[in-house]
Amino acid sequence: MTESDASQRKSMQMMNRLLMLLGFVSATAFGSGIVVALIDEAEVPPEQVEFFEKQVRPVLIERCFQCHSSDAEKVEGGLLVESRKALLAGGESGPAIVPGASDKSLLIQSIRYESREMPPKGKLRPEEIASLEKWVEMGAPWPADASTSEHVVMTADLPRDWDALRQNHWAFRPLAEESPPNVKDLTWPESDIDRFILSRLEVAGLKPAQRADRRVLVRRAYFDLTGLPPTPEEVHAFESDSQPDAFAKLVDRLLDSPHYGERWGRHWLDVARYSDGFGGFLDNQAQPHAWRYRDWVIAALNRDLPFNEFVRLQIAGDLIDGDNAAVATGFFALGPTYISDGGDPEATAQARSETLDDRVDTLSRGILGLTVSCARCHDHKFDPIPQLDYYSLAGIFQNTNVIEKPIALPLVIQQYDEAQHVIREREKLLEQRETELKKDETKLLSEQPQELATLRSGLQKLKDAAPPKPDSVHAIADGGTADMHLAIRGNLLRPGSVAPRRFLRIVAGADPIRFTSGSGRLELAEAVVSSQNPLTARVFVNRVWMHHFGKGLVRTPGNFGALGEKPTHPELLDWLTSRFINQGWSIKELHRDIMNSAAYGMSSRYDEQNFKADGDNRLLWRMSPRRLNIEAWRDALLAVSGDLDLQLGGLPVDDINSARRTIYLQVSRNGDHFQADEFMRLFDFPAMRATVSERLPNTVPQQYLFMMNNGYMLRRAELFAARLGKESQTNEQRIERAYRLLFSRFPTVDEQQIGLEFLKEQKATENIVASDDRSRMERYLQVLLSSNEFMYIE
Amino acid sequence: MNNWISPGVSRREMLTRCGAGFGTLGLAGIMAEAGATTTPLAPKMTHFAPKAKRVIQLFMPGGPSQVDTFDYKPDLATYEGQRPESVDRKSLRNTKNGLMKSPYGFRQYGQCGKWVSDIFPHVGEMVDEICFIHSMHTDIPEHAGAIMMTNVGHLQPNRPSMGSWLVYGLGTENQNLPGFVAMSPRAQPRGQAANWGNSFLPGTYNGCYVNIGQMHPERALNDLTNQLPRIEQREQVDLLARLNSLHLKRQEKDQNLEASIQAMEMAFRMQFAVPDVFDVSRETKATLELYGDSEYAKGCLLARRLVERGVRMVQVSLSIDGYDIAWDTGHENIVDGHAKLAQACDQGIAALLKDLRQRGMLEDTLVIWGGEFGRAPTSEGQKGRDHDHYGYTVWMAGGGVKPGYSYGSTCNFGLTAVENRVHVHDLHATILHLMGLDHEKLTYQYSGRDYRLTDVFGQVVQEIIA
Repeated sequence: MTESDASQRKSMQMMNRLLMLLGFVSATAFGSGIVVALIDEAEVPPEQVEFFEKQVRPVLIERCFQCHSSDAEKVEGGLLVESRKALLAGGESGPAIVPGASDKSLLIQSIRYESREMPPKGKLRPEEIASLEKWVEMGAPWPADASTSEHVVMTADLPRDWDALRQNHWAFRPLAEESPPNVKDLTWPESDIDRFILSRLEVAGLKPAQRADRRVLVRRAYFDLTGLPPTPEEVHAFESDSQPDAFAKLVDRLLDSPHYGERWGRHWLDVARYSDGFGGFLDNQAQPHAWRYRDWVIAALNRDLPFNEFVRLQIAGDLIDGDNAAVATGFFALGPTYISDGGDPEATAQARSETLDDRVDTLSRGILGLTVSCARCHDHKFDPIPQLDYYSLAGIFQNTNVIEKPIALPLVIQQYDEAQHVIREREKLLEQRETELKKDETKLLSEQPQELATLRSGLQKLKDAAPPKPDSVHAIADGGTADMHLAIRGNLLRPGSVAPRRFLRIVAGADPIRFTSGSGRLELAEAVVSSQNPLTARVFVNRVWMHHFGKGLVRTPGNFGALGEKPTHPELLDWLTSRFINQGWSIKELHRDIMNSAAYGMSSRYDEQNFKADGDNRLLWRMSPRRLNIEAWRDALLAVSGDLDLQLGGLPVDDINSARRTIYLQVSRNGDHFQADEFMRLFDFPAMRATVSERLPNTVPQQYLFMMNNGYMLRRAELFAARLGKESQTNEQRIERAYRLLFSRFPTVDEQQIGLEFLKEQKATENIVASDDRSRMERYLQVLLSSNEFMYIE
Repeated sequence: MNNWISPGVSRREMLTRCGAGFGTLGLAGIMAEAGATTTPLAPKMTHFAPKAKRVIQLFMPGGPSQVDTFDYKPDLATYEGQRPESVDRKSLRNTKNGLMKSPYGFRQYGQCGKWVSDIFPHVGEMVDEICFIHSMHTDIPEHAGAIMMTNVGHLQPNRPSMGSWLVYGLGTENQNLPGFVAMSPRAQPRGQAANWGNSFLPGTYNGCYVNIGQMHPERALNDLTNQLPRIEQREQVDLLARLNSLHLKRQEKDQNLEASIQAMEMAFRMQFAVPDVFDVSRETKATLELYGDSEYAKGCLLARRLVERGVRMVQVSLSIDGYDIAWDTGHENIVDGHAKLAQACDQGIAALLKDLRQRGMLEDTLVIWGGEFGRAPTSEGQKGRDHDHYGYTVWMAGGGVKPGYSYGSTCNFGLTAVENRVHVHDLHATILHLMGLDHEKLTYQYSGRDYRLTDVFGQVVQEIIA
């Protein structure tokens, strides 16, 4: 045990004593019913603590608690096994343990199936029995800090060597100072990135693919940065630009496009599990102002807001710049806030616990690349994240409320409030008069309606004249400043030791500074983007890489922990991350670095030898072919059929037939509320219930039913045909134009021929097609719109 | 090992088996060119020999009262009005009334002499096929959470449904139909899509919802109908296959591209296979009469037609009057509500069991009946009953469970499961076990950890397995 741990433990015990003396029961909302009463017990040596925590306590919890804890539905035999004291006291058959004498202990006799058979559902494993025997022989040591109350604290926070743990796993180490390695082939690299890539390929004896065709490159860059296809004219312009910096100029131009923010904003909205609300029956509230957060994200990316600031504002924008940046906290506010539908205490606590978990999970997987949520019920099984640390973070959100914050000018808000106040007063008056008049039978009946009618019409006039509800955003706000208790086995109704609000110890060290200001969110925000924390920048750089190459350098973008994958190019990841930070966390500079490399410019062509050696393309011998996400695919359908509305931002639309870009379609958290939901989900738009690390393309027949039969596709084909009809004269020209619009290339001779044959058959079958008057051209174009080449980028 | 789901079925064999002639180019040829892949829905190897091959879940949302249906408690009449200590437990609405006897008569049925309430006469006739579990219990007495627990194994709607897990674990036997179909007349059970949702499992495993109130095939699956004559649509599909294969030749070795060519062919066939399932006109008059004409019975008949064609799981939820938790009519008055609900489903359920038995399918089709919890034996108000999650009844039939058997029991008033308690997690573990899956091995890694239908719980109830 380190000294600081010991002193910390002592101070916590002091605190508990103090709280008891002051008559406090608990600082949290869920703490009622805890009796904090210290039992004097000798200090247990650390090796015994560890033995107890690892070998004994889990067995007691998993195998005995169901019938022998204060939470059991019915305590069997009057025996509780949740504290040393309870075991000594025993149940109806007498004391359960005799410390030092396992053979004489009823507990041991029972689990050996001697005196009785416990647990009745099945004997413990021999090693479990052996552990309990050993423990009783030891004198049944029960760590004092973990049993400070009658309502026993069942999870101890074990001392750990945090510095060593931080060195043990690549993701926790500080960024290494890397320099680009030497390579044999000096002609291929165009940037330092390439030397990292090439060096590994050379070691493996692989050759990088050739540079992609220009028309492939321009298409790749357009979709990557704006999510839209290039027009044939734009393709042509790039193809004929022979300047050496032609591609760099193209990248610059696309980064300046306002549509850049839409494409990359959507990537971030996945991380933020963005939706317009409607999560189903337990979190079914609408989120009518969600779009303001979406627009904030788009604008922030367009103006290249440094990523550290981008993150800081999303965690604590309300505390940093309440007037302008509260909208950024939609990052948390737009997540599910679960309720219970009947007020049952168990269900209410579960709902609260699940809500807190959403916040911790989104922060940790989304920004830190850590699965902190796994430590909700017990210490993380694979990463150095104790359960206590989970509640250190959860405590911050326990003190944070979701609100609708008006964003209009103060005067406008004041006017609205005042008008509403007057209306409420008049309503009360009206109600009062109605009741009085009913009672007052002396008044003539005919007098009543007249007076009431006057009151009513006056009220209506007030309502008509009142200013509209001011614009609002979904935001979060501080609502308290108390540490919460660790929840034993994740159950908020079973509070354990206090979890001080602070950052994860694996990042911030054994004794991180406490967060004490309000909820602690501002301090959290600073810790997340602090130079001491290598995760935030690494995780984001990896995400940007992933959206350019299909896979990240770390192929588990939401999990940099022990169960995640190790980076394929660890040196490159650290080099790129350091560079990103040194360039002021500029995301656009990061794009430039990546896209101006030879690696990004590689062709996606298959190579048998390379494929055999590295079929997964981990070493990046080619650009992996990628399927467009639903947003880019639908936007491309709109673009080629000449029906795309490029207006930026604003209210979302609930109509897939709208000409607006797909990012502006309304989607619900449950995926079953808006018209677009079904369409989006069909093409792998993920459930926006938890932060999305990666979209996994899924090919199912229903997608083809949509392409073959849905009116939406028929309409696209019709508009496309009409457009080609206007722009070109002959079928040859139309086919050519279609290929250039759809695939940024000319058709081959074969493809021309196939197309012409299909179009020609019109006359042969004209007579039988009575039920369908779509032209051959429309049917042909529907097929092209449904083709793989249109859905994939090379 | 049963060879009904042999993983060795070749792609070509499968395509042939799935029927539907290919067009001029022939999918087999294109696919051979492209190299082998299997679809994620292809039948998969079980962990051990299964007892059941398919599941029909007759879901009764709202909480049917065990003591008024299948858990006969004569003591309720004897002690009516009293509130013995054993039933003095907290209920959702904190009711404090005494015991109330069942308003219905009970009589014994079958060889096993099972007591069944008079509101389920048809099911009563089938008790010798049924395995009753009277000792069910669940975590909370609220509909929403408890319904989720029943169908997704968790109180919040953020886990895959049982049907999704089954299709993920076992694939499905008919590649022209969805692997998991959920149905209900008019109202969807509370929680809606989450009850058959795939959550974090791949979208292929999502349940497909059909509203029995609108029994048209085009309501079953979107975009099923093409306006062109089949031959002309085939021209289009062939053109697409041809262009895609040209593209694939250029790209080579891309599994996604191969899978999409296959998916397109399956889509083409589904257009004809799905309407065929819904065409009940070819059922015999005797069969149609057996089921009767209630909406729920239609769902039961359709369930049989679906599993007959290889669909892995069908969920048929009861609702009447458009209510999403139908059986929750019991708070004020058990008598009318429960009688009406039983009448709405009794004949259909019994017909399903008989029909499956006649066709020799009952032995490997697991039928599960039950709600998310039961109702208390004490009264709420004058004639109602509050929720009871301490003890309730679920029954199963066919699929390897002991017929004419009752397992576990509640206390003598029916409130609390006391003997051989079975939690919902245990029921899930048992269902997976019957299907040949080890509930601890059926895992999916998501957000950094392995998830299971049974979370970290669940024990197979060996005693009910035949």
